Amino acid sequence: MVSIEGGAAVPVSAYTQVTELSPDAHACLTFGAPDDLLDLTAAFVRDGLAGGFRVVVLSDSPQLAAAKLGWREVAAEAAVAAGQMVMVASQDGLVGPQGFSAGQAIGWLRDQLADSRRQGYAGIRVALDMSWALRPMTGIEELPVLEEEIAAAVSGAGMSVLCGYDRERFDPVTLALIAPFHSHAVAAATYYDDPVLRICRQYVPPGIRLAGEMDFLAAEALALALGEAIRIDGDITVNMASLSFIDASSIRMITDAAASLDPSRTVILRCPPAIEARFAQLGADRLPQVSLVGVDEG
Amino acid sequence: MKGNDRRPDPARPGDSAVLADAEAGREDGEARLALDQAFDSGTLYALRAAVQAHAIQAGLPESRTDDLVIAVHELAANAVRHGAGAGRLRMWERDGALHCQVDDSGSPASGGDAGPGGNEADCWPFLPGHGLWLVRLVADQISVFSGPGGTRATVVFSSGEEPSVSAPD
Repeated sequence: MVSIEGGAAVPVSAYTQVTELSPDAHACLTFGAPDDLLDLTAAFVRDGLAGGFRVVVLSDSPQLAAAKLGWREVAAEAAVAAGQMVMVASQDGLVGPQGFSAGQAIGWLRDQLADSRRQGYAGIRVALDMSWALRPMTGIEELPVLEEEIAAAVSGAGMSVLCGYDRERFDPVTLALIAPFHSHAVAAATYYDDPVLRICRQYVPPGIRLAGEMDFLAAEALALALGEAIRIDGDITVNMASLSFIDASSIRMITDAAASLDPSRTVILRCPPAIEARFAQLGADRLPQVSLVGVDEG
Repeated sequence: MKGNDRRPDPARPGDSAVLADAEAGREDGEARLALDQAFDSGTLYALRAAVQAHAIQAGLPESRTDDLVIAVHELAANAVRHGAGAGRLRMWERDGALHCQVDDSGSPASGGDAGPGGNEADCWPFLPGHGLWLVRLVADQISVFSGPGGTRATVVFSSGEEPSVSAPD
């Protein structure tokens, strides 16, 4: 589905799109950048809220996660206030005061399912940021047991679970042990990935994300990514918050794509100040379709 | 701004005494070769990193450093895409300005030969929004010479706090 010349091409066909998960999926999300975890979790949460499911998000820092989901146009705080969504800290969910045990963790998960049924929800979606399992703690060797138990728990239960594993930080042996217990593999659709540049799809808000340094050498991948993004209806975002360099030909390719759209549509260009200035210098701010948004993060 | 022609450009072929001094490590010409790096399509990233490091070290303000990096990148990209496919950058400091010279040993890009000895910068295909147009916009000076041996493009960035030609906001 996505094929790239040069650089490091990433086959996407082996993966399920996060937007196409079944209601009783046990999905393994492997990510290389924290933004991917957040973005795919945001899509999973957004679709869950829209579908009327109860949504549980477990992470090391629930407040930070809520704020970042808010930035991604997922009304996390409103959903929490309405009781449809809960943000849980790892140590209040999967990890107990005495360390980790698969039995205690699966008990917590089954409680979540029972709660959602009691409250009349059609189903439940649980997003688990598994980075807690990187910390040294007693019982962590039972992690594969937990994943096996989750596989049994979701079956026919109206519960889908998205387990997020950082593939840079978890060792390959652990990933190989836990992967077979999942029904789906999920990853960001990636158009280009090498140590200098990464181009991938952004799910929420829809568009693409560029990180690193973008120049004409990756023009083909950028054209493909833009082409797929503008086929979506409505506004699209080109997220360049983590981009440190972009050359004139790439700027032109992005502005040409924007200029080709109906003026009722907007292409939101999120960029650090220096790149925002470069787009303006090349006239992007004069296009009715372009909205330049500066971001501070590097 | 452009046109601060205080001195002849040291990069002109046949008039490269200053550069020769710099290459020989002599200080009396007030020029110091800061960087001499070959590049091709696989090393543009390293070239940008090196130029950035040297510009910062030379005290260029941050926004001008960004301008210098993109100017050198666009000249090098031009050599990679439309010239020999590879080239050489030399960068030196002289009289409070950074000079970056990009040599491309390939045949001159497109027809527009301005004749021997003339600065062809004005004859280059400066399409608005394209790389070379951007180079001319951000550099304090630009000169381009081509001959049978290839093309030599030089940009000069004053390292003072001179306001740059930049976005209207």
